[in-house]
Amino acid sequence: MSRTGSVVGYQRSKWAKVLGQFLAYAIVIPGAIFMAMPFVWLVLSSFKTLEEIVLFPPTFWPRRPTLDNFRQVIEMIPFGRYYMNSIITAVAPTIVSVITCSMAGMGFAKYKFRGRNVIFWVILATMMVPFPATIVPLYVMVSKMGLVNTRLGLIIVGLSSASGIFMMRQFVMGIPDELLDAARIDGASELRIFNQIVVPLCKPAIATQTLFSFTGHWGAYIWPLIVINSDELRTLPLAIPYFSGQYLSYQNLISAASLMAILPVLILFLFTQRYFVKGITLTGMKS
Amino acid sequence: MSRREAGKYRLYKFQRTIAPYGFILPGTVFYLMVTIIPMFTGFWMSFRNWNIIRPTHPFVGLANYDMILHDPVFWQSLKNTLVYTVGVVPLQMGLALLVALLLNTEIRGKAFFRLLYYLPVVTPLSIAAVIWQWIYHPQVGLLNAALRTFGVPGQNWLGDPKLAMLSVIIVAVWAGLGYRMVIFLAALQGIPDTYYEAAMIDGASRFALFKYITLPLLKPTTMYVLITSMIGSFQVFGLVNVLTGGGPLDATNVLVKYIHRRAFGDLQFGKAAAMSFILFGIILIFTVLQWKFLGREVSYD
Repeated sequence: MSRTGSVVGYQRSKWAKVLGQFLAYAIVIPGAIFMAMPFVWLVLSSFKTLEEIVLFPPTFWPRRPTLDNFRQVIEMIPFGRYYMNSIITAVAPTIVSVITCSMAGMGFAKYKFRGRNVIFWVILATMMVPFPATIVPLYVMVSKMGLVNTRLGLIIVGLSSASGIFMMRQFVMGIPDELLDAARIDGASELRIFNQIVVPLCKPAIATQTLFSFTGHWGAYIWPLIVINSDELRTLPLAIPYFSGQYLSYQNLISAASLMAILPVLILFLFTQRYFVKGITLTGMKS
Repeated sequence: MSRREAGKYRLYKFQRTIAPYGFILPGTVFYLMVTIIPMFTGFWMSFRNWNIIRPTHPFVGLANYDMILHDPVFWQSLKNTLVYTVGVVPLQMGLALLVALLLNTEIRGKAFFRLLYYLPVVTPLSIAAVIWQWIYHPQVGLLNAALRTFGVPGQNWLGDPKLAMLSVIIVAVWAGLGYRMVIFLAALQGIPDTYYEAAMIDGASRFALFKYITLPLLKPTTMYVLITSMIGSFQVFGLVNVLTGGGPLDATNVLVKYIHRRAFGDLQFGKAAAMSFILFGIILIFTVLQWKFLGREVSYD
């Protein structure tokens, strides 16, 4: 019984199998090329000189690869500062929300208490509320708190998430109660049970949640666009379109900057990907 | 029970009662603070002439809603939003399911393919939009260069009102396919092999396996993906804002873009809030209809 093929052992003629495989590749490969092409071009362009970028018709492979674009980006715009802004405004809410969501997941999954269902359903119901329905008053609220154009104002909306709570709850529900009870008999406190039993068993879900959260905050556009109005606090997703608008013809620089901006999420994805599909499977997205 | 034991038990009882609240408190408070409170204030704002500079916010009843319903740009942006949704959601879901099915078979290099399909998801949308702006560029863009080698004349993809929405849709499908593929993959891996084995013993064809096992068991996932995709595409903003800014000639002016313009461009917060609630109502109706007509969940056991 293999986990990979859903129709393992199904008796088909050899030719049908070869044909099936061929058809699969015929769909998957062009699709993959379409998906990857913008990146390939981005990466290649970031090594091209400006003379080559403005050539008509455009070249595909860089004729004289150079690293100069990366140096120029860092010198031309305060790239380091934007990077730092992005890191702070993505890492802080990611850490906090992973903690708050897994705690809430534990609370909703493993205890019976007054108001549990009501609170849970209110949280789920608000997932349907579109962000624009809350963004205007949220802005007013944040501005009354004096947090417009501050990092805290940026971070404050991401300290917890409904989908995160939902996902962690689904996952924690899968951990057998007997395990927790055994620890209780041994005299472990509830917090200790959470820290030493639930969290280690939740690694795939936590990895998935970390990736989703970080990706979301790293790429956040609408909220930072509204809350941040000084250049000082701008994050990469705001800085690069702005940069691109100013230096529209310097596509070599824009490519280098974009590539550097994508890199952290890519690295995190590579680190978390082995947990990734597993995390979603176990969180019971299907129920 | 000795006194010490009784004390211990009381402590245990106390812990069990208080612990759940302790666990859910931070997450729930943070979350509700930034959703529930703004939701109610927003509703309140939508009946007022709300301007952030003026201290008083006079009550205007349904005037904001009335004005919006008589605003041709609102109807245009609603139509654009629907066109975008109808264009993106089925295409993205269909392709995501197809790719997930194929990458769930014994195909070689599937880990690599999964990575390629997931790549766009990790790209911040605004940066993806910048890349695509360049790909679509009428002179130096990759797309027109590729088309010219096949003898097809170049197009002004984002500048032509007839093509702009199509161009935006292509980018949106590209950007969101990988995420949906991963969810479908996870669901496919969750279907027990025993179901297929049993059916195969009964001599079911490959197509029958797909139709009577895979599809029905995928239904809850499909519903989840359908509803969240639809809610997401009704709220599209970042992509459009960077790619076209809503232009040319309002051809890609979607609702959230228009809300953003009303609020932070014209500072008409009351009108923007009212428009948000109209959008909320539309999403709610669509979601409820989908539950009603497609929603019957399938049990796994």
